[in-house]
Amino acid sequence: MQRAQNLSEDIDFAAVTEWKARGVGRKAIGHMPTYVPRELIHAAGMLAVGITGGGDKLEIIRGDAYFQSYICRIPRSTIELALSHRLDMLDGMLFPSICDVIRNLSGMWSMIFPDRYVHYVDVPQNFDTEVGGRFWRRELETLRHDFAQLSGVAIDDEALRASIAVYNENRHVIRDLYRARSERPWIFPMSEVYYLLRAGNVLPPEEHTSLLREYLALAPLETSRRDQDRSRVVLAGMFCEQPPHGLVMTLERAGCYVVNDDFLLGLRWLQDDVATTGDPLDALVDAYLNHSAMSASRYAPDGDRGRWLIDSVERNRAEGVIFAAASFCDPALLDQPMLVAALDRSGIPHTEFKFAEDTGQFAVIREQAGTFSDSIRLWSEA
Amino acid sequence: MTITAGMDVGSSSVKTAVVVDGEPIALRTDRIRRRELRKVIEESYEAVLADAGVQRSDVVYLATTGEGELVDFRRGHFYGMTTHARGAVFLMPGTEGALDIGALHARAMKFDAKSRVLAYRMTNQCASGSGQFLENVARYLGITLEDIGPLSCSANDPELVSSICAVLAETDVINMVSRGIKTQDILKGIHVSMAGRYLKLLRAIGAEGKVAITGGLSADVGLAKALQEKVVEEKFAMEIVTDARAIYAGAIGAALWGAFRHNVLARRSAA
Repeated sequence: MQRAQNLSEDIDFAAVTEWKARGVGRKAIGHMPTYVPRELIHAAGMLAVGITGGGDKLEIIRGDAYFQSYICRIPRSTIELALSHRLDMLDGMLFPSICDVIRNLSGMWSMIFPDRYVHYVDVPQNFDTEVGGRFWRRELETLRHDFAQLSGVAIDDEALRASIAVYNENRHVIRDLYRARSERPWIFPMSEVYYLLRAGNVLPPEEHTSLLREYLALAPLETSRRDQDRSRVVLAGMFCEQPPHGLVMTLERAGCYVVNDDFLLGLRWLQDDVATTGDPLDALVDAYLNHSAMSASRYAPDGDRGRWLIDSVERNRAEGVIFAAASFCDPALLDQPMLVAALDRSGIPHTEFKFAEDTGQFAVIREQAGTFSDSIRLWSEA
Repeated sequence: MTITAGMDVGSSSVKTAVVVDGEPIALRTDRIRRRELRKVIEESYEAVLADAGVQRSDVVYLATTGEGELVDFRRGHFYGMTTHARGAVFLMPGTEGALDIGALHARAMKFDAKSRVLAYRMTNQCASGSGQFLENVARYLGITLEDIGPLSCSANDPELVSSICAVLAETDVINMVSRGIKTQDILKGIHVSMAGRYLKLLRAIGAEGKVAITGGLSADVGLAKALQEKVVEEKFAMEIVTDARAIYAGAIGAALWGAFRHNVLARRSAA
């Protein structure tokens, strides 16, 4: 656990630098949150590095000059990371289409680092095979070509299928971890799971899988972990800017078992195994179109908004939902009223607050989450 | 027979209650006084169980409140407002609001007959309206905590102090002592200032009817009197009430909610 904590808190990305130093000519590609096809990076022999801003460990000085004050914190702290040379070990950077701010960030990156590879990953919002599917396949072919050029390693189908298998295994163990946490959240508390997930930002997928397996085996041996009378809640809205660890701790201390969430959603964006036979690009396209996680940054048909959240509540036997969106996060905050309406129609209790990745005062959140937990446990049946 | 326990971990003391079938049978307060908090918690729990004549294994639900998240052997934790509201309704039936006044903070809350909190407001971080401030003043004046209330009630010419800042208020008190102001008038002035501050909280949440004082300062008769006088003076539709056990309202409320949750969980596992 200590290793996972160190990895997740290290804003100098020493693990990435060390990984590169272990082999001649190794390259690393950074990417912003939500989905990028990491399998293609892996198949080119490169390391995919999740960049989730500077968190609460970084003071923003230069980054503020790039964005207005009414913009969320993650792009500013990511710029700060780059301008303070903490991302110099990255040989390229991918910006998936989360929102306009991240799109602008990709443009800024191109201007700040004209000699580095930068790509805006325009994931499809049309889920028709003949429309979005063809578009996404072309995008994947572009990335395959670019990564091969960057790494000097041709990405053949066999290598790509092998990388898909590696990530299938990683997603599989993450699903196991989420299932285990939902069943026994006192054994696998969110405050620990969060560190473990974040470690996946900087570790090769094989190492991350081993780390998660080790945790799944060892955590149940901690005999001091006892079930308590707490409310079971689903957290929503944290798919891009990540909360400080203290906030996660606060929710647990306030009497909540977090039984599902959308932290670091990109690690488990594809919710089923990707086919390891046939054309691997077609397999990735099919996985994206048909097995993607739902989030505010992707299209959902009319009337379907919120269905995933209600499913999550039911599947995890949750008693309520806590909306925790990053301040000024357009996708999350625009989505929230629709999700709230869906929950209201289903009679599912909810509460909401906002955070920033560097939020340091949790008293109000603690009070709010605590009273929400009390109200679920005491008033729903009083 | 359903035995539950409640533990209210405050910033200056730990209050514990053992409740059997809805009736408190043992109550206990232990001051923290620079001692290791976990040790105080453990000793306090053992002692209250001994007072009640029950074993740990007899208690079906230990519920904590306040800073009780530190009690890792608890079954559940409830928030201060939830437990004080429940404790107030139990101890003083018919109350519709409460002022929970502890060592560092005060909190006004309004609730319904089922103790469901409808609105609340807290003092800000300044401690001038709190028990810790009164303790400091008692030390400057050379009196015991128990003397504060009766002395304040005997005052004739109260001298007001700053109600905004503890540092300013304490400076005011030192000046009054050097000016020869009587101790009882200083204390009454402090109580009047505090009462004004609390009434602002109550007004902000629209409290009316019977309002209970709970928490550590509920035993301060001088404060209760000053509050009631202020209510009359400002023509509030409110009656200030208190109870000898109101200091335990949080612990009793926690134990009562614990019993409620025990029954809910038992029903669920039987279903």
